[in-house]
This record gives sequence, structure tokens and C-alpha cells, in this order.
Amino acid sequence: MVSFFSTLAVIYRQFLVWKKLFWSSMATNIANPILFLFAFGFGLGRFVEVMGGVSYMIFVVPGMMAYSAMFAASFETTIGSFSRYYLHRNWNAVLSTPVTLAELLLGEVLWASFKGTISASCVLFIGWLWGGVESLSGALFCLPIVFFSCLCFGSFGLLATAYAKGYEFFSYFFTFWVTPMFVFCGVFFEVNKFPDFIQSLSWFFPMTHLVMVIRPLTTGLPIDLITILTHGSYFVVGGLVAFSLAYFKIRLKLFD
Amino acid sequence: MSNNLIINAKDLIKNFGIFPAVRGLSFSLKKGQCVGLLGPNGAGKSTTMRMIMGLCTISGGRLDVFGASVKNISRKTKSRIGLVPQENNLDPDITVRENLEVFGRYFSLSNLILSKQIQKLLSFMSLCEKQTLPVNVLSGGMKRRLIIARALINDPELVILDEPTTGLDPQSRLLIWTRLMELKKQGRTLLLTTHYMDEAQRLCDQIVVIDHGRVLDQGTPKDLIDRYVGAYVFEVKKPHRLGLEKLCVNFEDIGQSILYYTRFPDEVMAQLSGTSQYNYRPANLEDVFLRLTGRNLRDN
Repeated sequence: MVSFFSTLAVIYRQFLVWKKLFWSSMATNIANPILFLFAFGFGLGRFVEVMGGVSYMIFVVPGMMAYSAMFAASFETTIGSFSRYYLHRNWNAVLSTPVTLAELLLGEVLWASFKGTISASCVLFIGWLWGGVESLSGALFCLPIVFFSCLCFGSFGLLATAYAKGYEFFSYFFTFWVTPMFVFCGVFFEVNKFPDFIQSLSWFFPMTHLVMVIRPLTTGLPIDLITILTHGSYFVVGGLVAFSLAYFKIRLKLFD
Repeated sequence: MSNNLIINAKDLIKNFGIFPAVRGLSFSLKKGQCVGLLGPNGAGKSTTMRMIMGLCTISGGRLDVFGASVKNISRKTKSRIGLVPQENNLDPDITVRENLEVFGRYFSLSNLILSKQIQKLLSFMSLCEKQTLPVNVLSGGMKRRLIIARALINDPELVILDEPTTGLDPQSRLLIWTRLMELKKQGRTLLLTTHYMDEAQRLCDQIVVIDHGRVLDQGTPKDLIDRYVGAYVFEVKKPHRLGLEKLCVNFEDIGQSILYYTRFPDEVMAQLSGTSQYNYRPANLEDVFLRLTGRNLRDN
């Protein structure tokens, strides 16, 4: 059985560290979307007037939200988790207490989702100031969905951590997992502009599903609950598979 | 009958792939005892400790902790144990005090108990003035003290210490020894590994010498010394022609000279007088250890 309090204790530790680094974390969370929106909104926006039926700025803000959430969650359960496990041997310490491996890993993923959501919120805030959000209520409704999707992204990061032997390993993860989600999943361009095989590939990545849900919400376009749930189930299934694989691999690595 | 056995290992086996790290280890730990698990590097000490904590699966045999098998070690059992690991795995991102606080949360301690425990342990380990410092600025001795304090946060009945004083200055070791003695007086059960035989001799009621994953012998430090090395060791320069062997428990050729372990120092000295170059001293646990595990290097 997974104990709520033990999982919370794992998250509490992360929170304590984050509190100390709050302002630097916020500065990067705010500066990142400003840089991106400036470059893409003004730079590319001058040449691309309309994409997906809306102005480019309105098009790109939800994409950036999804991307920064994915990146933050993935970073947390790869470089972050791996450092705690490998460099600081923090996991060994935690596991010598009543906290179980499942609770430890769940805490890591939940925390990653929190950070991902904070990151997306900052993009949303800047994007809204910039005039890139048409429906604020729709945009706020995105945040729990983003949190949910981050459970999936975080679990995939954890899976990479489970197989990593050193930091170098993560260059594969970032090149073949994070970067494709940046360029092929509808962050900056519509997915249907790509050749067919890229399009089918893009649906494999959870990112595409996230963008498909939150773009209509921030732009105020109609989207029904069934569509949201269909895409959402992709996060659930993907997340559960990745989490379980990561759990069994890490258990083998630590306890055998 | 076995109610006061805190740890009971019977024919315990652990294989890492094809490498047998522990091969048929049997020993037990009674309530309130301090038992020293001694052995050269790679003898299987840390693996055994990890198995006791449920941090390492067992490949064969039995291992009971607080009367239940470690195979599915319960949350309740783990909350009765405190572990001082060999590696310094303190949390470098938070302060001394926060390290204790976070650990208390892992044990789901209430705020009230936790703040009392933190205060008590900071002063027990002489860390009060350091409590707001980040862990990185602590000296090796302070880090070790903090790790011990951390292992005590849950007021454990069993404390497992994996080389608690390795690499520390004499003052730090002395403080840790005093504290470990106090823990013993409080009725806690201690399981200790160390490479310092004086430490084991001073702290342990019972010694288990292991090598290559097997128990070589066990007993009180006094018994073991008496059994293997008598009371005194004479180191006699070669060459010499004395029939000292019959006065000795054991003897050993170490190249330039021969070591004679004896219970009758006066007789040995009488035989030696005027004939050979020698020196002598009381026998200790280190002599036992080297007798049992040999003098060859183990790191490879």
C-alpha cells in the first residue's frame, strides 16, 4: 500500500529545497517564455500572420505552455532525480526509512508535475499579458490538464533515469524524446503541415495530445469533454506504463 | 524463546549475479547487545546490513528482524531501526536542522515529537551551533555526527552502524564512542561494523568475525583473544632457535620475525632472556582478526 504521508514527506523535501531557490526558479520560469515569445511571436509572427485560424501569438502561447511544462517535468525526473539517486545517494537514505520505493518514485513524479504546472502557469501569465490568450477561463482550466500530462512526462523521465548509468545517457533522452516533442508535436506549427509519416510519429508523443487539448482552450475554440478525455487517457496509459517500467527497473537496480 | 532476538540470521545467502557475497551466514543479536560485525573489505558486512534493512533482497536462508522475516519487511519494523550508512548520504541542498526534520517526516513523526527529537539530538551530537548551516560546510566529523543523529530521529530500538568513525580525528571518534555507549545504556541494540579493532573491543559485547561471506568465529572480545592469541604477543627476530611453541596458543612466521601468542608471558620471557631480539605487548582483537583473516591485501 502506498502511504499518503510518506509520499507527502518525499514532496516536502523537494518543497523545502524549492523554497530556497524560489526566486531564481521564478526568474528563469518568467524569462524563458519572454525570450521565446519575443523571438517567435515577433520574429516569426511577422511572416506568419495566421496559423490554425488565429494570430501566430495566440497559436504559439499554448504550445509554449505545453512545451515548458513537459521540459520542466522531464528535467526534474531526469537530471534532478538522477542527481538525488546517483550523486547524493539521497534515495538510499530515504529508503532506509519506512518510505517505500513506490512512494519515493511517486513523490518524485508528483513533484515534477507540480514544477511543470508552475512553469506552464508562468508562460500562461506572460502570454496573457502579451495578448496571446483569448479565453482566460479556458486557459486556467488547462492547468489541471497540464498537471496530469506532467505525471506522464515525469514518468518517462524516470524511466530514462532507471536506465541511466551516467549523465551522458540523458543526451539520448533529450535528443530523441524532448527535442522531437519540441519540433514535431504542434508547438510552433500545425501537425498536419508535416508529411504523413511524421504526423503518425507525432501522435505517438504525449506532447501532441496535450497541445491538441490546451490550444482550443486558450484560444476559446470549442472542444468537447470526450476529446479531452480521449487525449487525457493517453497520458494515463503512457504514464502508468512508463512508471511501472521505471519502478521495476529501479527496484532491480537498487535491491538486487 | 526467540522473543529477545532482535536479529536472527540462519544460513543467509546473497548472490550478486554469479558472485556469492554472503554464503551461509548465521548469527544473532539479542536485545540490548552491541554486536560487532568484523571482516576485511568485501567480507559481506555492508551487504548483510542492507539485507537487515530490507534494502537488498536475500538469495537464500532466513533472516528475521524483530521476529519477522525481512522478505516483506513492514513499515512498522523499519520504523524501529536506525541506519548509519557507510557513505555520507546527507542531503546537501538543505541545512543541518532540515536534514533531521525531513528525515523525521519520512518516519511520519508528529510536529511536536519531531521538534523535541531534533533539539535533543542536536545537543546529543553537539551540533546545536551548526543547525542552520548547509551540510556542505561541515567537517567530516560533523557530517558523521549528523548522520548518527539522523539515524536516531525515530528513537530506534535497533541502531545499525556501518563504519561510523572511519576517517575521523581522535576527538570525533571519542565523542561518537561516548554517545554509542550511552545508546547502549539506554537499552538500545547496536550492530556495528568497523575496521578499528580498538573500537570494536571497546564497544562490543559480542564479535562476529566474517570473511568471504561466512562466519569464521564469534564470541566476546575477551573469549576470542584468549582463544586465538592468549594474553601476550612476542615478536622475536629471526633467526632464533627456541622451543617456544609449546608455551604458545599460536605462532606465526611474518618474514623477518615470528609472532608468538601466549598465555604465559613470564615463562616466554625467561626463555628469551639474553638470547634474542624481541618485543612484546598485550594481545588484542587486531591480533585475533589477522589470525583469522590472514595478512594479505583484500581490495582486489
